[in-house]
Amino acid sequence: MKRALTLMLALASMVAIAVVAGRAEAAPAQKTDTSITGTGATFPFPLISKWIPAVGSAYGINVTYSPTGSGAGIAGVTARTVDFGASDAPLSADQLAACKGCVVIPWALSATSVPYNLPGLNGRLRLDGPTLANIYLGKITKWNDAAVKALNPKLNLPDTKITPVYRSDGSGTTYNFTEYLSSVSAEFKGKVGNNTSVSWPTGIGARGSSGVAGVVSKTEGALSYVDVAYSIKNQFQFATIKNRAGKFATPGLRGINAALSQLPKKVTQLSQLKIVDPPKSAGPLAYPIVTFTYVIVPTGSQKAAELRKFIYWAVTQGQKFGPALLFQPLPQPVQAFAFREIKKIQAST
Amino acid sequence: MTSVPHEPPAPSAPLERRGIRLGDVLFQGVSVAAALVATGLLVLIAYKVIAQAWPAIKHFGLQFLWREAWNPVTEQFGALTFIYGTVVTAAIALLLATPLSLAIALFLTEMAPRKLAAPIATMVELLAAIPSVVLGLWGILVFGPWVAQHLEPWLQSSLGFLPIFSGDPSQAGILPAALILTIMIVPITSAICRELFVRTPRDLMDGAMALGSTRWEAIRRVMFAYAAPGISAAVLLGLGRAFGEAIAVTQVVGGFDSINRSLFHPGDTLASRIASQYQGATSELQVGSILYLAAILMVISLMTNLAAQFIVRRFEKARRAV
Repeated sequence: MKRALTLMLALASMVAIAVVAGRAEAAPAQKTDTSITGTGATFPFPLISKWIPAVGSAYGINVTYSPTGSGAGIAGVTARTVDFGASDAPLSADQLAACKGCVVIPWALSATSVPYNLPGLNGRLRLDGPTLANIYLGKITKWNDAAVKALNPKLNLPDTKITPVYRSDGSGTTYNFTEYLSSVSAEFKGKVGNNTSVSWPTGIGARGSSGVAGVVSKTEGALSYVDVAYSIKNQFQFATIKNRAGKFATPGLRGINAALSQLPKKVTQLSQLKIVDPPKSAGPLAYPIVTFTYVIVPTGSQKAAELRKFIYWAVTQGQKFGPALLFQPLPQPVQAFAFREIKKIQAST
Repeated sequence: MTSVPHEPPAPSAPLERRGIRLGDVLFQGVSVAAALVATGLLVLIAYKVIAQAWPAIKHFGLQFLWREAWNPVTEQFGALTFIYGTVVTAAIALLLATPLSLAIALFLTEMAPRKLAAPIATMVELLAAIPSVVLGLWGILVFGPWVAQHLEPWLQSSLGFLPIFSGDPSQAGILPAALILTIMIVPITSAICRELFVRTPRDLMDGAMALGSTRWEAIRRVMFAYAAPGISAAVLLGLGRAFGEAIAVTQVVGGFDSINRSLFHPGDTLASRIASQYQGATSELQVGSILYLAAILMVISLMTNLAAQFIVRRFEKARRAV
């Protein structure tokens, strides 16, 4: 009986200490004014990782970013559990309303590539928008289909089944890809539409870019969409896509830069930042599947000063880290737009 | 030992001698509190899930249960595909895992030499220690391709007339998911069955053999009959795991949102769809629908659990009647 009592006393005191210590810990952690936390898309993570130490040494701001996905980033900043969120897709109307006074600022720019698995192909695959749309609609099922052959007259396309692979989780890359396909194919737009997560009529879903990479690398005849930096890092073969000028473009920096020529001189709204499927005037190098990636910040924040400094730095000096990672530096109209939006971030009372 | 006549202590004596022990009281209090916390947690979770699912429940009603759709663009959502996927993958996993577990348990208790039994038993249990994520990754990179290149073509060539084995082999689909679930269920079920078989009273088995039954007859009629409630409990425990498994399944099931008659074709389960879509949900209705799926999953698990308790009690009653 004595032992039971002493055991219980020990337990109670441990609990009490934990509670007191926890309370004491929690309070100071919130008051560190030069640290900001963010979460969101995995797509810009390589670039943000380069920004973090540089911003730390330039301003003494300690930034932590965890790549949990666009959806988690939006959810996190909406719940104000993080100071900023990052997403590859702009917020939907519902999400913007739920965020209650958030600004969405583009801070990086890259492209979505189309990797494929066709061992023994004697050249690089060429595709165009309508053919891609038909593949993902299930209308083109074999690699040696007439439509694919017409684009690749010199290639020895096999009689293999095409396995389109898509992201089963909500993804900004899906948003970008479906935006492009909806733009080039009315049937795709009607049947599937454009969103971070859609109902695909055919194909296999895989979780995350790594899941997609796994399925594509192990399935002969598979085809998918993944951001270009990921493709290059994992040494995938990706297709060239026909642009409106009739040329087959690659998702490199020049291709991305050419696609930007359709931006207006002064950008006043996010909706003007649609850069997929650029028109003929964009030139022969323009790659059709290009995307901005955004940071989402509440307009009233306790960390307003640090956030303004960080994002301003990111859209100006931070852009120079981009090219090595296949992020094209922001064009001037977009930078100007970003500056105007950054001003809206004010300290909350 | 001689017992000393015990006199009731005087009313003014301290608590201990009055027969009330402080330790007992405290322990009772803590236990009751823990039980209440557990029940309270269950009620709280159920309430929260239903509260967040309410926009979808109000919008779709019970029709959600037999609607085969999941379109975030047009905001049409329905659970039928996922209920089908959950039930089919779990059923296949159970069908395969039960005889396998029983066989493993039998081998380890009745047939394996002592020295072999212990390491094999440990390795089977270690299978349960593999994290779901790792199993899912192995599924995508190794197991799925093997199934697509060898198992599915073989099934199609020998049993291809069955609609469930029609269609193109695919490395992500209902069949690979069901097989991964089997791998996850077997360690739990076989460990429990092994314990049960070891505890079968030796004299019952000896009696059966003395009456002239063969080894297999003795095992079947005595051991299995004796362990029946435990085996059903073990099987239903495995089923619970199969229903709830999200991460490993979402890697290999292929994330497709309509029902296909072929087991090779990609599909999806309730837990897997919740895990893959919750963070990316773009509208309130989608969030509500995902939580509606969660509510359905909770109901299915609850019904399975209740069925388990009912079956176990039936077996117990039958056995006590003997």
